[in-house]
Amino acid sequence: MGPELHTIHGHRAVETLAAKLRRRQVVGSREAALETVLVLRQVVSKARFSNIQQLIAVIRGVGRRLVEAQPKEHTVGNTVRRILHNIREEASSATKVSAAAPARNVYTISKFVLQGQPRKHNAGVPKSEATATLTEDDPNDPDSFARGLKPVLMEAIQDVLDELETVYDNVSKNAKDHIHSDEIILTIGHSKTVEAFLKSAAHYRNYTVIVAETAPSYSGHDMARSLSSAGISTFLVPDSSIFAIMSRVNKVILGAHAILANGGLVAVAGSLLAATAAQAHSTPVVVCAGQFKLTPLWNLYHDYGALDLGDPSSVLGFEEGKLVERVDVVNPYYDYVSPELVDVFITNDGDHPPSSVYRLIKETYDDDDNEL
Amino acid sequence: MPPKSSSGKEKDIADEDEVLQAVILADSFNKRFKPLTVGKPRCLLPICNATLLDWTFESLALAGVQEIFVICRSYADQVKAAIRDSKWSKPSSGIKIVPIVTAKETFSPGDAMRDIYTHQIITSDFVLVTGDLVSNVRIDEVVRAHKERRRTNKDAIMTIVVKEAGAVHRTRSRGVSGVYVLDPNTSECLHYEPVLGYPPASRVTIPREILAEHPEVEIRNDFMDCSIDVCSVEVPSLFQDNFDYGDIRRDFVYGVLTSDLLMKNIYCYVAKDGYAARVADTRSYDAVSKDILSRWTFPLVPDNNHPGGHSYEHLRGNKYIAKDNSVSLSRTCKIGNNTLIGSHTTIAENATIHASVIGQRCTIGAGATLRDAYIFDDTEVGEGCFVGGSIVGSHVKLGKGVRVPNGCIIADGVVIGEGARLRNFERVSKKRGASSKAVADGSDGDDEDDEDSELEEIEAHQEDAATILGKDSNALVWPRGSPADDEDELDEREHYNNLRLMRIGDDASDLELSDAGSNTSSDSETESESSSIHALSRTSSMTSVSGPSLSHSDLSAQTSAIHSLSSAAAETEFRSEVAQSLERAFDEGHSVENAAVELKTLRMASNVPLRRVREAVVGAIVDRVPLVPGDASAQRTEIAKMVRRWGPLIDKIGGVDPVETIEALQYHCAAAGPRQGLFAQMLVALYQQDLVDEDDIRAWHKSPAAKGEGVKPGSPLAEGLQKCWEVGAKLLEQLSEESEEESEEEEAPKATVKAAAKEEGESDSEESEDDSVRSEDSAPSKPAPSSALRPPASSTSLNAPPAKSTSQPVQPSVPAKAAPAPAAAPTPPPAPASAAAMPAQSASTSVPKTVPRVAKAESSEESSEDDDDDESGEDEDEAGP
Repeated sequence: MGPELHTIHGHRAVETLAAKLRRRQVVGSREAALETVLVLRQVVSKARFSNIQQLIAVIRGVGRRLVEAQPKEHTVGNTVRRILHNIREEASSATKVSAAAPARNVYTISKFVLQGQPRKHNAGVPKSEATATLTEDDPNDPDSFARGLKPVLMEAIQDVLDELETVYDNVSKNAKDHIHSDEIILTIGHSKTVEAFLKSAAHYRNYTVIVAETAPSYSGHDMARSLSSAGISTFLVPDSSIFAIMSRVNKVILGAHAILANGGLVAVAGSLLAATAAQAHSTPVVVCAGQFKLTPLWNLYHDYGALDLGDPSSVLGFEEGKLVERVDVVNPYYDYVSPELVDVFITNDGDHPPSSVYRLIKETYDDDDNEL
Repeated sequence: MPPKSSSGKEKDIADEDEVLQAVILADSFNKRFKPLTVGKPRCLLPICNATLLDWTFESLALAGVQEIFVICRSYADQVKAAIRDSKWSKPSSGIKIVPIVTAKETFSPGDAMRDIYTHQIITSDFVLVTGDLVSNVRIDEVVRAHKERRRTNKDAIMTIVVKEAGAVHRTRSRGVSGVYVLDPNTSECLHYEPVLGYPPASRVTIPREILAEHPEVEIRNDFMDCSIDVCSVEVPSLFQDNFDYGDIRRDFVYGVLTSDLLMKNIYCYVAKDGYAARVADTRSYDAVSKDILSRWTFPLVPDNNHPGGHSYEHLRGNKYIAKDNSVSLSRTCKIGNNTLIGSHTTIAENATIHASVIGQRCTIGAGATLRDAYIFDDTEVGEGCFVGGSIVGSHVKLGKGVRVPNGCIIADGVVIGEGARLRNFERVSKKRGASSKAVADGSDGDDEDDEDSELEEIEAHQEDAATILGKDSNALVWPRGSPADDEDELDEREHYNNLRLMRIGDDASDLELSDAGSNTSSDSETESESSSIHALSRTSSMTSVSGPSLSHSDLSAQTSAIHSLSSAAAETEFRSEVAQSLERAFDEGHSVENAAVELKTLRMASNVPLRRVREAVVGAIVDRVPLVPGDASAQRTEIAKMVRRWGPLIDKIGGVDPVETIEALQYHCAAAGPRQGLFAQMLVALYQQDLVDEDDIRAWHKSPAAKGEGVKPGSPLAEGLQKCWEVGAKLLEQLSEESEEESEEEEAPKATVKAAAKEEGESDSEESEDDSVRSEDSAPSKPAPSSALRPPASSTSLNAPPAKSTSQPVQPSVPAKAAPAPAAAPTPPPAPASAAAMPAQSASTSVPKTVPRVAKAESSEESSEDDDDDESGEDEDEAGP
């Protein structure tokens, strides 16, 4: 019984999302993550399986399909990994409820570094055969396992969904501890997380934000409009003046598209400029991002295409016929910002230095899922 | 028309979840890709390693189209098979694709539309595209805008998607394009004029009503036609009703917009974001490939959403290499920018590849050089080959050291021997021996038969093939074509010279693309681009208000000749009808008004240009004059009688253009042997009847048509024309002598002068600058018919220039060079015409808001012209490019 058989369930929804991702009709890391959760919930609710491995194979199949459709939306893969992690946990705890508590292996630092957070089901699965409540591969009633487990799994998926929905609030709940009165903050692009973070801090503090306009998408314009309408004193500056004004800036706050395992990040184009300028002026660089952006990838910065080069039309008008023929336009959407340039990540799971991002990743995902 | 749901409420609900339908015209109805399209439909040619049809499907899928009808004609089996095997026919694609095979007798998009009508497949507004579209335009937004418009205006039947592209753009077709006249506020397309690259068009004709009705119009020559049309259900039925509509743009759009009866509106959607272009010819194949590689089509780019389902890795410099690690690049090969390399392709040492697309499973030999080359799948390029600016089909074998220079097209399966050196623009296909079997397998419809006979013909001319193709070649060299070949070609879009503008690698720099007739014109003309359009200088019949550079001319150039061709049949019919009608009028003594009404109706019915009517009327009058040989004065009386009785009819048929009248008279007299002598007397009679004045004669005299240009020299017609022209010259001499005597009366108000026709000459003469230049600048070769429709109302104001402004000529709108020339200068300077030349890109011109009022004032011959004139003068200064 190959897993392929099972992928037919929820196939339509998967294909639709894959097509949407491919056609860039779903963009933005949070939206992509949300859509992925919804599709996976559908897949799991329809899936037929008699042991946990089958279900995991189904989800991985779907995940692979979605990631292949759009490898640049990292949150899709992250969400799949996260759900796999949660499902394993739920399944193992469910199957060993009545089992006698196994002799747990001893926690050691070295083991932790090597394997990440220990998974309980390692020990639990073989022993669960004994339980009467949930039996894997029951020959009499193959669906009993799925029937018993599904409510728990749905709950696990719902947790992921809830986390995604509350991520902005949770990231910004400690905003007032990071921003002090009369500070000057510089930001770039229109990151929803940063926007919520700044607005939340504005309830307690009186400070100034300088927004770089973020050519050629000019998403900085929207950001400035949004912040100033929330009563924050806002300046909009061209990207070219980032270095010049950096000496007056107290803190640089960046959003992220994806946080890589080495502590670097993929962020809107111009972030590298801001981060480098900040380093030259020894200004702290703070990155606000939800946990779902943690991506277990190391080698992205070797990949030129990972910067997601968009169409040249925002840089060079199509009507400039003579130039279009002679000029090659490079219009990357993202920058890779290396970990040395970042001081701290503020996530919905607390604040972390870049050097400990790998640990967060190990906690959040299972190592087996790094390659879907 | 399919029935609509009955109640309004139901309909609203239906609108919500209506299935968006699209129709793909998968056949191109022309042969621009021959010989690549021997044995294969064009829509299955690959571009960037995915078939054109896949790109089209993807473009439509982006827009959320749910049901697609593919209209195929030639090689329908292959198209159907391709659709069946593609990812699109899987249920998960969410798109229902229905191939529809039309009859072999479908020869134009219009025929296909009629077919759609008979199939009754269209239930709501639909998207009409061609099968060679590459687009990322949000068509759903266009559809929304279209539906929105339909809610308030049921006559908005079509929305054309256009893209601003500038006058010179690699993706904009140089061969076939169009000029759009838009209302900038509503983006309604008020007029459309098809433009050919060759012969170059120098002018467009815009109906005067448009200028009268719209305070602001935009004339755009920089639009790229994306060939995406959102049509409402009645569009196919309109095609059904008008069986002569062939092309969607040239016939349908033009026809609908110029029709007096249909009263339908067409709108344009200027796509600001997004990219859309069609691969209509090999030149645009090159351009669109480059646009895809330089990511204009994002997110439809090889590394992201490749319609063929391949995945490519995007490397610095827009290099795309297939991702599955199957490409073997040697250490010393050079891969330049903007290159795409398909999977399982091997590139040997020291090969250089630049700005090229290479298919799957190809082998590029050591030291080969590819530049702007498009190589389809499974092709082998030998060692040391050179391929530049060419398209090489699949399964082709190029031997060692073969040189494929600019513009070559090598069809599938060709083998070219070692060391062969092709000439530029060589077209090569495989000999029929092997391929005819394949044809026999498939359906052997007319199309394949046609092709067979075509190939046979080519086989008959293979004297030099062996020397060109090298030994062991299995190929045929196609005839190279020449301008002389296209005499029998009916469609001038497919003429050799025009096709040259559409083929890959041909910059056509040797083609004479500037306006041949505009010798007098100055710098702005020569520096303007090949397809530039000149706004026309004022014609004598225009009142000063009719506006800035938008004035129009009756002598529209070649552009309108196009339509005369297509409606040639209708015209013959029309001519006989007019002859009969006039016969009746003369015999039964109808009043001039009644005869005029009858003629107008006839003209509407058969939709011919005004010029034809004028020619017919002038001709009929000349023919009715009883010949009195040997008695000049008796003859004169006869003519005077005739002209007095029927002359006014000439100006009552719907527009006034004395210059054209003289021209018609000249051509008629020159052709009608014995009546040639009547020309002079007729002209004098017309002059005395106030139907023409001196300036008109002068203008006529200067026009190339009057000198008989464009008529074969030596023919009797040309001689006749020449004689008439000389007669005219003499008359002019006399007139100018007379008018000099009376020049003191120059300042006299026009109205009083009117009675004494002879005095008019001088007072009007300043205006003649424009007239004469206009006519000099006008149609170089043939007496072009007019397609301008004039409101009869304006005819009254004709000879009534503002009282004050007699000494102050009304300038053409563009201020720059339009210096007032001295009155009645013998050779007027060319300046005004060229100044009126509109830069090719776009000229958005606002017609002063005062237009309607002024027009009224003038037509009722009030004397309030002073201020109006000033006002419009100011506005004219502001306007212009």
